[in-house]
Amino acid sequence: MLDIGFSKPALPKTGALAILIAEKEKLSGLAAQADKACGGAIGRALEAAKFTGRKGTSCTILAPGAGLSRMVAVGLGEAAKIDVRTAEDAGGHLGAALAAEAEAAIACDGSVKAHAASVAYGANLRSYRFDRYRTKEKPEDKPKLSALTVLTDDPAKAKAEYAPLAAVAKGVFLARDLCSEPPNVLNPYEFAARCEALESLGLDVEVVGPKEMKKLGFGALLGVAQGSENDPCMVVMRWNGAGKGDGGKGDGGKGKKGKKAKPICFIGKGVTFDTGGISLKPAANMEDMKWDMAGAGTVAGLMAALAGRRANVDAVGLLGLVENMPSGNAQRPGDVVTSASGQTIEVINTDAEGRLVLADVIHYAQKEFDPAFIVDLATLTGAIIIGLGHEHAGLFCNDDKLASQLEAAGKASGETVWRMPLGEEYDKLLKSDIADMKNVGGRPGGSITAACFIQRFIDKDRPWAHLDIAGTAWGAKDKPTVPKGAVGFGVRLLDRLVAAHFEGGKHDG
Amino acid sequence: MQHGRRVVSLPAPDVRNVVALHDAGAAIAAALMEAKRAVVDAIALPAAAAAALAAGASLRAGRYSLRTRPEEPVWRLDKLTLHVADPHAAEAAWQGLAPGVAGSLLAQRLGAEPPNLLTPKRFAEKLAALKGSDVDVLKPAELRRQGFGALLGVARGSANPPRVVVMRRKGAFAAKPLVLVGKGVTFDTGGISIKPADDMEEMKTDMAGAAAIAGCMQALAARDSPAPVTAVLGLVENMPGATAQRPGDLVRAVDGTTIEIIDTDAEGRLVLADCLAWARAKFAPVAMLDLATLTGSILVALGGKRAGLFASDAALGAAIAAAGAQTGEHVWPMPLDAAYAEPLESAIADVRHCVPERFQPDACQAAAFLHRFVGDTPWAHLDIAGMEWRREPDDPWPAGATGFGARLLDRLVAMRFEDPDNWPDAGH
Repeated sequence: MLDIGFSKPALPKTGALAILIAEKEKLSGLAAQADKACGGAIGRALEAAKFTGRKGTSCTILAPGAGLSRMVAVGLGEAAKIDVRTAEDAGGHLGAALAAEAEAAIACDGSVKAHAASVAYGANLRSYRFDRYRTKEKPEDKPKLSALTVLTDDPAKAKAEYAPLAAVAKGVFLARDLCSEPPNVLNPYEFAARCEALESLGLDVEVVGPKEMKKLGFGALLGVAQGSENDPCMVVMRWNGAGKGDGGKGDGGKGKKGKKAKPICFIGKGVTFDTGGISLKPAANMEDMKWDMAGAGTVAGLMAALAGRRANVDAVGLLGLVENMPSGNAQRPGDVVTSASGQTIEVINTDAEGRLVLADVIHYAQKEFDPAFIVDLATLTGAIIIGLGHEHAGLFCNDDKLASQLEAAGKASGETVWRMPLGEEYDKLLKSDIADMKNVGGRPGGSITAACFIQRFIDKDRPWAHLDIAGTAWGAKDKPTVPKGAVGFGVRLLDRLVAAHFEGGKHDG
Repeated sequence: MQHGRRVVSLPAPDVRNVVALHDAGAAIAAALMEAKRAVVDAIALPAAAAAALAAGASLRAGRYSLRTRPEEPVWRLDKLTLHVADPHAAEAAWQGLAPGVAGSLLAQRLGAEPPNLLTPKRFAEKLAALKGSDVDVLKPAELRRQGFGALLGVARGSANPPRVVVMRRKGAFAAKPLVLVGKGVTFDTGGISIKPADDMEEMKTDMAGAAAIAGCMQALAARDSPAPVTAVLGLVENMPGATAQRPGDLVRAVDGTTIEIIDTDAEGRLVLADCLAWARAKFAPVAMLDLATLTGSILVALGGKRAGLFASDAALGAAIAAAGAQTGEHVWPMPLDAAYAEPLESAIADVRHCVPERFQPDACQAAAFLHRFVGDTPWAHLDIAGMEWRREPDDPWPAGATGFGARLLDRLVAMRFEDPDNWPDAGH
């Protein structure tokens, strides 16, 4: 996490300075002061570089004068179109351009002045790096940026706006850490231990082990886990923040009492490593399967974000944590398992395991918490990548209102979703000859039949959305606010959903 | 059986569900196929529902056979009478649907034709013989003059030269036309990037987009539609051969865009690119809509139960979705983001037509590729791969070619392009 401070605009005497410029905008404010102090060197350099303030462009000037080591200008695009997302992305570009400096100041006194907190947020999100296991990296190869000072006319306001964003960023970083950890380190119980560490935020965390799951009838989840040496578990995280308001604290998760509104519920697929099981995956790129727990990572990150910013909501997050391995004791294609709901499932492909895990956890969540709605997240299908690529997560939803709320939250957070169909014509492809259903419906429409499978475990009339994040959980290249690697996709999206519709007694669901 | 009597009974379908009505009609036809004539007690159905039932029965009755001995059991049913409460209203509703149904049946037959019988030349002759449109056939020499480099590149491996068929209905009022562009690959081997042998015979129906548009044009003629509509159908065969296009080749499209060829099996978008760019320049259309069995990706995404709809214009997209819902030819909106064009950057040309790596959102990338060629003309692209063929009878369709799209297009024209006072171009 970058150490971020806010203060009144004043030209720094040393170090780096960043400025943000809208398209065709003249240097003004601090930027103009800096240019003057440098004898016009900044203006001349920007002109020579043909920097016009176009969105996504930047220009770096080394040692421009006046004691500054570096000047970075980032384009904001059209002045009239500057919004929160523009500011976040510009902050991200700045963060990357300033990586070689230990400390830097950002001038947020121009066209972007209303969004100083968002600029800082973007820079912080971009600064993420997972380097725990790099033991030989030379100091000069490491990014140095550790502190940013945001120069703004109203530092107090920006600081107050930034506080909840910092909490969300912590959640995003947790999700990214969990995805990045190697699978021999992050097995189901290590994952659970990291969730338990979040109790310090006021979350109530409970870990349900295999014995208890057997009692609960989790035949679908346990079938997936049976091939692995690593025991499975389910983590239940509760944030009881409703009515607590600012600075309030969760009540330690004493559960449903009084006439509180139903909690909202998030469920994540957490397959800490997915070999495919007996239906073994091809070797190429199999290491990517360490982040087959991204859905669970996001739910953990989201719960940390909600608790960290003391969200005025009752939320419950459930993670189904298992490892899917081939072995002498592994689940076979052809096995029939009985899920917690009592429905029987013929396992056709042991690599379609995520939905089996979700089936039992979803059933438990409804029985235990009767939530106002459920959103589940899962790196569920390769088919969603062939459908939507890496641009949008697939959204499957039985409730138009919840779907449009998610679509809006996606646009606002930059973590976008694209709605995909559900329906009887797809569901019928799951018909089994010997059980209530098969766990796969064939290659055509593979993401849709996977969603239909999950829907069979959702109570009738309960609003539910399923996010297939197989294409969005991991990035092959840098994006403004997301360095390449684990994205933490969904933390910001769902935090936004909660903030916009479900806090402070609001219950749009 | 012929002289006997047979009674089948079905639960009454939901009268608001057009697919259920089609299915019920199809089930009736299938159950009574051996009778020459059949009567349906549809007295409980509203007129529109009865007509939809009849449409389903007619669609299932589609037959294409080159057998020299009749198939057993023989399909004899050729007359269906529906008993309804209001025969006049039902007849009127049926008259609204029948041209589209006949258009679908034409598209079914074209889709079923073996590829040695339906070459581009033969396909063009059949289109020229359809009544109600002015037909121009552009042959290779003319296509070269006009600069159809992308389309000609696809065709060059085949001994059967390509055709571009232009079918024009002037309409009853003066306005810029709606242009319908169809992919008509009469057989798609994949070319040098040859397809696996399994199921390759189904590639005879890779001209289903063009066939559906032909069906629509026939329907418009049959009901004397006042809409000014022009169809541009790109008919080619994609074969490997000594003269075939290679991965790595560079072609120049009608509008001058240079295109690097990556996979010769991504040929449909090359044919469409030329046809779209040419039609846009030639006809200044009020809107363009293309239909194509374009990508396996859309089949993976939507499972062959809905066509993928990519629209640059929200109003046009909404109208297409509404026409799809009304005819039971369902579509689903898919994204047309600029981000999908980014991987199409070529090292040597303006653009490459697809991405070499596997596991790509090829349907979205193909749409982004086509988007380059339509400029700011309101445009929609329907990726109908997976909708053009059924191995088993399904929904109202018999096994084989479905003719998907003809009824949707006919309805779209009726809904949105027949009222000169409410022409989509009025604001311009």
